[in-house]
Amino acid sequence: MSNTLLFSLLFIFPLLGFLFNGIRFKSKNYKLAGIVGTAAVGASFLISVILVAKLIGLEEGARSITVHLFDWINIGDFSANASFLLDPISAVMILIITGVGSLIHLFSIGYMSHDERPSKYFSFLNLFIFNMLLLVLGDNLLVLFVGWEGVGLCSYLLIGFWFTDQQKAAAGMKAFITNRIGDAAFLIGLFLVFTNFGTIEFSSITSLLPATAESGWSGPITLACLFLFIGATGKSAQIPLYVWLPDAMAGPTPVSALIHAATMVTAGIYLIVRLSGMYMLAPDVMMLIAIIGALTAFFAATIAITQNDIKKILAYSTVSQLGYMFLAVGVGAFVPAMFHLMTHAFFKALMFLGSGSVIHAMHEEQDIRKMGGLKKYMPITHFTFLLGWLAIIGIPPLAGFFSKDEILWYTFASPAGSKVLWVIGAITAVMTAFYMTRLMALTFWGESRVSKDVHPHESPVSMTIPLIVLGVLSTIGGWIGIPHLISHYLPGHIPNVLEHWLEPVVKNIELTGPATMADEIVIMSLTMALIIGAAWTAYMFYARKSSIPSKVSKALGPLSTAVENKYFVDEFYNSKLINPLIEASKGLWLYIDVNFIDKVTYLASDFATGCGRGIKHLQNGNIQRYAMYMSVGLILILSLILMGS
Amino acid sequence: MLNFESLAAIGLNHYLIVSAALFCIGMVGVLVRRNVLVILMSIELMLNAVNLSFVAFSHFSQNINGQVMVFFVMTIAAAEAGVGLAIAVTIFKRFKEVNISFFEQLKG
Amino acid sequence: MDISVLLFYGLSFIVLCFALAVVVSNNPVYSAFYLAITMVSLAFVYFILQAYFIAGVQLIVYAGAVMVLFVMVLMMFDLKKEKDSFSKGRMSNFLKVSSVGWLWGLIAGAIYMSSDLLSMGATLHNKDGVGTTTKDLAKLLYTDYIFAFELLGLLLLLIAVGAVAVSRIKGGTHA
Repeated sequence: MSNTLLFSLLFIFPLLGFLFNGIRFKSKNYKLAGIVGTAAVGASFLISVILVAKLIGLEEGARSITVHLFDWINIGDFSANASFLLDPISAVMILIITGVGSLIHLFSIGYMSHDERPSKYFSFLNLFIFNMLLLVLGDNLLVLFVGWEGVGLCSYLLIGFWFTDQQKAAAGMKAFITNRIGDAAFLIGLFLVFTNFGTIEFSSITSLLPATAESGWSGPITLACLFLFIGATGKSAQIPLYVWLPDAMAGPTPVSALIHAATMVTAGIYLIVRLSGMYMLAPDVMMLIAIIGALTAFFAATIAITQNDIKKILAYSTVSQLGYMFLAVGVGAFVPAMFHLMTHAFFKALMFLGSGSVIHAMHEEQDIRKMGGLKKYMPITHFTFLLGWLAIIGIPPLAGFFSKDEILWYTFASPAGSKVLWVIGAITAVMTAFYMTRLMALTFWGESRVSKDVHPHESPVSMTIPLIVLGVLSTIGGWIGIPHLISHYLPGHIPNVLEHWLEPVVKNIELTGPATMADEIVIMSLTMALIIGAAWTAYMFYARKSSIPSKVSKALGPLSTAVENKYFVDEFYNSKLINPLIEASKGLWLYIDVNFIDKVTYLASDFATGCGRGIKHLQNGNIQRYAMYMSVGLILILSLILMGS
Repeated sequence: MLNFESLAAIGLNHYLIVSAALFCIGMVGVLVRRNVLVILMSIELMLNAVNLSFVAFSHFSQNINGQVMVFFVMTIAAAEAGVGLAIAVTIFKRFKEVNISFFEQLKG
Repeated sequence: MDISVLLFYGLSFIVLCFALAVVVSNNPVYSAFYLAITMVSLAFVYFILQAYFIAGVQLIVYAGAVMVLFVMVLMMFDLKKEKDSFSKGRMSNFLKVSSVGWLWGLIAGAIYMSSDLLSMGATLHNKDGVGTTTKDLAKLLYTDYIFAFELLGLLLLLIAVGAVAVSRIKGGTHA
C-alpha cells in the first residue's frame, strides 16, 4: 500500500469513529459505541505498526517518510501544506498514542458502562486521537498547531464531560483558558520562527540551523524558543501554568490516563524534542527550561505527599514527572526525555487506569483515607498497580528506573546541567518514592477502612486486560533504552536501542565534563538507596499505622499547611491575577463599553434614525410624488447634458 | 385640396415645440390630478404628443418608418387604456371612488 | 400671412387649449369631451402633415374607440363634479408644475440648439407625397415590420383577456 493511503487511513479511522459515535451521541448503547471507538483506534494502531515497520525497512540515515496530502495555505513567501512526516520521533509517538490509546479505549468500555452518554464520550476520545496524530505527524508547525488546539478542545470537552456538575464544568474551562494562554505564546513563537527562518517546516528549519549557528547572533532564536516553551508549559502543565492539570481530574479517569498523563501533556516535550536543534542554539532558554522543570518536579512532588484524593496524587505525580522530562530537555538530554515520556506513558496510564478500576470498584470514592486493604478484593488491579509503583519509583529492571536514572545522570554530567539541579532531581525522586508508596499503602495495603455499604470487587475483563498489558509494558518497556553503563556489564552488550533509533534525528548534548563511569555508578547507587529508604519509610508510616506523619506535619507547622493547600497558588492566581483582571474588565465594561462605545453607537444609530425620519417622507406611497421625483431627476440629467453641449 | 406649398413657412421646429408643449401639459395632468381616469387621459395626451413628433419627423425626413412607429404606439396606447380602465373599474368597485390616493396602499 | 400658416397656428392653438382644458377641468366627463376634441384636432394636424392613414386611424381608434371606452367607464362610475380634483400640497404642486415648465423650456432649448441638425424644414419638403402613401405604409408594415405587427396582435388579445380578468376581481386583499 502506498504511504499516502496508509497515512490517510491512519487519520480516517479515528475520524470515522468520531463521526459514527458523534452522530448517535445520545445513544446509551455503550457496547456498540465502545467497540466502534476501540476498533477505530485499534485499526490506527495496526496501521501505525505497518508504517513503523516500513520506516525500519528504510536505510538508517534516511528514515523518514513524508506524505503530502494537499496544499493548504500558500500566500506569498508563506506556505503551509497538509503534509505529514513520519520519522523516528513521531514513530515513537504514534505507537504510544494509538497503542496506549486503544488500551484506554478498551478500558473505557467497562468504565463508562453506567454512563448516560457513552457514545459522546467515545466520539470525543476518537477525536482526541485524531488530533493527537495530527499534532505529532504534522511536518510543519502550523499543522502541529492545529492538532495542538484540537487536543486542547478535546481535553476541555472531556474534562467537562459531566458538565452538569458546576465544578467539573469550571475545571474544563480552567484547563481551556490556561491552555489558551500558552497557545497564544505558542503562536507568537510560531511567528518568530517564520520571521527567523522564512519557513515553518521542520526539515527546512533543521537544514537552516547550521547557517544560523554560524551567524552567531541567536537573539531572535532565543526569543522564539522562549515563546514556544511558554506554549509548552501551558500544554504540559509546568510552572506557572500547571494549575489546570490537577483540576482536570474532574474528567472520567480513562481520560486522565490518556490525555492528562500519557499523550497530550507530553506534547510540549515532543515539541521541544522536535525542535531540539533550534533549542541547542539557545542555551539561556535551555537553562530556563531545566530550572522550571526541576522546580515543577520538586514542588508538585511535595504537594503530592499531602494529597488524599487518589487521582489528585496521580495528577501531581504527572506534573512532577513532566517536570522531570523538561529537566531532561533542559540539560540537553533529549533522548532520555523521549524515553521517559514513553515509559511514563506506560506506567502512568497504568496507574490512572488502576485508580479508575479502584474508583469504579469503590463506587466513585476517590479518598484514599477511606480505602485500604483492597489487595484481597482486587488482586489483578493490585498486582498491576504494584508494577506501576515499582516502575515510577525506579526499581530496576522496571521501565522507570532506566529513564529516570539517565535523566539524573545527564543532569549531573551534562555541560548544561548542574549539581544543584541534580540535587533537586534526586530529592524529587525520593519524594516520588515516598508519596507513591504512601498511595500504595493507603489504598491496597494495611487494614480496610472501607465503609460498610461499599463492596469492592475486581473489575471486568475489558478493564483488566489493558491493566495487564500496560503492566507488562511498564516492566519491560525500559529495556529498549538500557544505558551504556549497565549494558556494559550485561551479557551480550544489549545496545541502547532507543538512542540508536532516534540518533539520526535527535542528538543528546555531548558529555564533556570530568564525570566518569565511576561517578555514574556512585550516583545510581546513591539514588537507589535513597529511594528504597524513602519507600520503606512510607511503608512503615502508612501501612503500619504510625503516628509519625501527623507529628511531622505538626512540627512543620505553617509549611505543612502551605503544602497541603498546594502552596496557595490557586488562591494567589485568583487574588493577584484573575480578580484584578475581572475588576479591570468590569471597569472597562462600565466606563469604556457602556459609557463610551455604546454611546457612540447609539449616537450613530440615532443619526441614522434621524436621517431616515427626514427621508421617509420621500417614500410616502404617493405615486404622483414619485412621478415628480422622476421628472425632477429627468430635468437635472437633461440640464447637465444641455449644459455640456 | 389644400395648398401644401403654402405651409412651407412652417418647419419641423414648430411641430416639435407644439409636441413638447402637449407632452408637458399631459405630464402636469399626470402629476397633479387625483382622478385615475383623468390621469389616464393625460397619459393619452402625452402619447399623442410623441406621436405628433413622430409624424412630423416622418414628414420632414421623408421616411415613412416614423408612421409605422406611430401606428404601433397607437395600438399600445389602446391596450394601455384598456388595462388602465379595467384597473380603474376594479378600484371603483372596491372604494366607490377612483382617486389615485387608493394606490397609496402600495406603500410599505 | 399664409393660410396654411394660419391653419397650423390655429390647430396648434386648439390642440394645446383643449389639452389644457382636459387637465384643469373639474369634471371628468368634460375632460373626456375635451380630450376627444384634442384628438380630432391632432388628426387634422396629421392630415396637413400628409399622414393620411395615421390621421384616419387617429380618428377611428382614438377619437372613436378609446374615447368611447373612456366615456363608457365614466358612465358606469356616474361621476359628478369633483371637490378635490387636484392633489394636495401647494408646495409640491408648485414644484410639479414648475418642474414640468422647466422641462418644456429645456426641450425647447434643445430643439433650438439643434436646429442646425434638424434643418430639414422647407428644403426637404415632399411636394408630391411620393413614398408616403397608405400603400407604402402597408407595404412596410406587412414586410419589414410583420413580426412586430403580429406581436401587437397577440398583445391586444392578451390585453382583452387581461382587462376582463382584472375587472372581474372582487374586493381586495385589504380590509
